[in-house]
Amino acid sequence: MSPSAARHDAKVYSTKLLARRWLTEKVFEIELTRPSSFQFTPGQRIRFYHETRQRDYSLLTTPSESTLGLCLFNVEKGQFSPVLAAAEIGTKFSFTGPHGYFTYRPSERPAVFVATGTGIAPFLSISRSGVTEFTLLHGVRTASDLHYQDFFRSTARLYVPCLSASPDQAGTIENGFDGRVTQYLKEYFSPGTYDFYLCGRQEMIRDVTLLVDEKFPRSLVYTETFF
Amino acid sequence: MKIYTGGGDRGKTSLFSGERVNKSDLRVEAYGDVDELNSALGALVAFLPSGEGTLSGEIQRIQSDLLHIGVWLAVTPGSPASSELPSITQEHAKGLEAAIDRLEEKLPALKDFLLPGGHVSAAWAHVARAVCRRAERHVVRLLAGNDEDETSLQLRGVVTYLNRLSDYLFVLARYCNKVQGQPDTIWKK
Repeated sequence: MSPSAARHDAKVYSTKLLARRWLTEKVFEIELTRPSSFQFTPGQRIRFYHETRQRDYSLLTTPSESTLGLCLFNVEKGQFSPVLAAAEIGTKFSFTGPHGYFTYRPSERPAVFVATGTGIAPFLSISRSGVTEFTLLHGVRTASDLHYQDFFRSTARLYVPCLSASPDQAGTIENGFDGRVTQYLKEYFSPGTYDFYLCGRQEMIRDVTLLVDEKFPRSLVYTETFF
Repeated sequence: MKIYTGGGDRGKTSLFSGERVNKSDLRVEAYGDVDELNSALGALVAFLPSGEGTLSGEIQRIQSDLLHIGVWLAVTPGSPASSELPSITQEHAKGLEAAIDRLEEKLPALKDFLLPGGHVSAAWAHVARAVCRRAERHVVRLLAGNDEDETSLQLRGVVTYLNRLSDYLFVLARYCNKVQGQPDTIWKK
């Protein structure tokens, strides 16, 4: 018998592009067919393959939906997002998954979701699956980048859009904050013990983690880095 | 993609179960040992005698097991994170026992203490064995006083696995010397 009889090998699935919807000039959603045997937990990722390239994306849909959804930033000269941005409807891709452990873990501590940009995707899946008792800080450059804000305003206990590059807009939207998510946590968040879920750029994850050590030292931190 | 985040620059790190702990925490010591053991196995594979592809694959599967074990060591007792991880079962240890039996069949009986060393692959197997014992000691310390929850049950399986793995590595060191024509070095008291 192998020493690793209980190992889990990643299964390769086939999928087809069903639809694409542009949310802004650079950000788009895609809808994909969901293989009947593919199961996942809200917050998890799939690993896309195209030619010799691969890239992980968090699912924004829920396990009860019949299709899979992703939200992508079209990176100029990127390895993968331009392929999905330009692919014809009906194009086939392969993926493995589910990957990652960025899933919601209920506890007696308040949950604080912190996202930058398209790092909002796993929180959409988690929240659409029934989790509502959370605070969400969404860090973006301008108000036009606040995708899904109507949904989160209706589900989150507190939803705070943090605008880092448009001070004139922050005051015009409900709970808008002029600055980065880290600044908001530093200036407005009461000291206490929380479960922080961080998803987005690694600079945000580093800064919030260091702030947690300093201001909320007994809190838990779960992270998912978007590169 | 940058490998560094800077989140640990002040001496803390995040466990898989979310807690921020000092890097001197016993859990960090334990999974650090397992990481060191895994790296030593990587060096061992690099120096395996040619024609030992089966052995190489076997060691790489052990390296995969060690990654799972490292994650278990980074879960605090009672955490819901434990429900997301594959179990470390008795089957894993039994797999090692079968591998030990297979290698021992090819070796002469041992009646003396040996000095660790010989061929470079054997020397790395001994280094890995010693690190494996250290990892085992740290996991035993982690278990002290925590023996009822799911994480502790898993850690008991980890102790069994590491205990068997160090035996495997001892036999493997002898096997590497044998296939390289290097006699065991007997301890002369």
